Amino acid sequence: MIYKKDANFPYPILSSTSYSYEESDFTVKVSFEEDGDSYRFKVKPNVMSSFMDNLLRSGQAKYVLVIQSKDTKFFPLTLDQLYVDIHKKRMSLSSRTSIQLHIVADQTLDFSANKELNPFYDQMKSSITVPKYAMLGYSNIVTFEGGMKNPLDLFEKRLDPTLKSAVKFELGSECIVIHFKNEDIQFQSMPKANAFLNPYLYTGLRMALDRFIKTYAEEDDDVVELAQITQPEDLLDFKLYNLMVNKAVVELSVENIDEVIGRISNQIIEKYVKAVKELAVNED
Amino acid sequence: MKIKLLKEGYKKDELLYTAFRNGTVDEQFFTEETVEIAEVPDFPIYMGKGSEAQKKADFLEAFKVISESYVNDDRDIHFNERFWHSLLVAEKRDYIVDKYPQVLDGYREFTNIVIKDFNWENYIYKCILAVEYIEDATELYLSKDLYYELIVDNLDIFNYIIKYSIFRNGEFLVKILTVIHSLGISDVLKAKIPDRPDLGSDERYGRRVIFELNKAYPVVMSPLLTVEELQGEFMMALRIYYDISELKVTV
Repeated sequence: MIYKKDANFPYPILSSTSYSYEESDFTVKVSFEEDGDSYRFKVKPNVMSSFMDNLLRSGQAKYVLVIQSKDTKFFPLTLDQLYVDIHKKRMSLSSRTSIQLHIVADQTLDFSANKELNPFYDQMKSSITVPKYAMLGYSNIVTFEGGMKNPLDLFEKRLDPTLKSAVKFELGSECIVIHFKNEDIQFQSMPKANAFLNPYLYTGLRMALDRFIKTYAEEDDDVVELAQITQPEDLLDFKLYNLMVNKAVVELSVENIDEVIGRISNQIIEKYVKAVKELAVNED
Repeated sequence: MKIKLLKEGYKKDELLYTAFRNGTVDEQFFTEETVEIAEVPDFPIYMGKGSEAQKKADFLEAFKVISESYVNDDRDIHFNERFWHSLLVAEKRDYIVDKYPQVLDGYREFTNIVIKDFNWENYIYKCILAVEYIEDATELYLSKDLYYELIVDNLDIFNYIIKYSIFRNGEFLVKILTVIHSLGISDVLKAKIPDRPDLGSDERYGRRVIFELNKAYPVVMSPLLTVEELQGEFMMALRIYYDISELKVTV
């Protein structure tokens, strides 16, 4: 699995976001090329820890490359062969692919000789041992986006004169789709038409976030802690997830859904109110 | 052959169902986009009803057909929801109506059998993933046929493994099935855990074992373990819920 939560590891972990090491860092660059029937993924690790570097060179730890798209694949790598080949048939480049490099213990290890740890560990590090197969470090996540049609658009507006209602909301495969019966309902002829559409957008967002909670909350719960879930596979949910994470939303629940909309939508109701007021003033 | 793809929004279009029921699905439901595929043999697409023996026979039949055809196509095809739904609606009506006549009873049955969401609950998805994992495996400890049987006989645990992306992994599945076979504990894993209402209404020993392995990750990265090592971790997890001294196995 791609690992991104800063979970409580019972031992020091090397990553860009962990504080276990004083100044160390662990990042990766990934490139890929076509090679006959396969794609070759080449990794270029950067391990800023001589302790970890020694473990890797002496074979006490190894790299494991994790590739996640439709499923999760693990590839142990050796230092002289930092690439994997995957048959094109088993790589769906039309869907998002996330890649991460792990460092995994290849035998029981102790940290007593590790001089790079945060002083917090000074007293206890001689008593820390980790088992074989334990993760010692994880890199940044490299993402290949795949074939999203509109990576930035959250909404799609469609005109449909045969509609049985004035508007209709639908959660599409990568957008919130709002169907309008005619252009009037879209305020096409009015200035600030976009702001007038905001209540529609609000309704659509509420629907989408409501489904988000139902999909990702634990059973019998209605709270989603965003740091605790993996990146959604569904493209619309993925966009919402990114929006929320970028706006520092920590959790989404039935209780705070309107608050979250305020954060991720940049004050859509306020803008709507402002547009209506301006219109009223102009009419006077 | 070329398979035309359905227009987006088809899942919510009851007119598609009406046309399917009447056998009058025509061009208006499709786009100009097509998928090119060598052959599209029939296979069972729904194992939600029927006797256990019938379900098992259907699963094995699906595995056989897929392993000889669809699995050789790209993931971009056989993991594409719109491809499958288009194929079923456009080319497989006769097969479906014959094998699952209930699709003519109502829209609900149609959505549940023909245009069912393509995720771990969809029977085509389950079968495709199972066949990919067994056919692509570079290291098998038992015969392919036996693995296919083990999947059907341990469907609850198979479902639980493919439900979460963390363990949706071919090597892990093969190793877990190997462990279950060598311990001979299918029946125990399937059984409900009595007197533990705190675990939910339908908790089974097998799911709990996978849950514990999931919880231990990544301190123990179980997909990387050897079969012998995984067996050790497996029994440690089972021991939390089950008195393993009752098992007639040596650990």
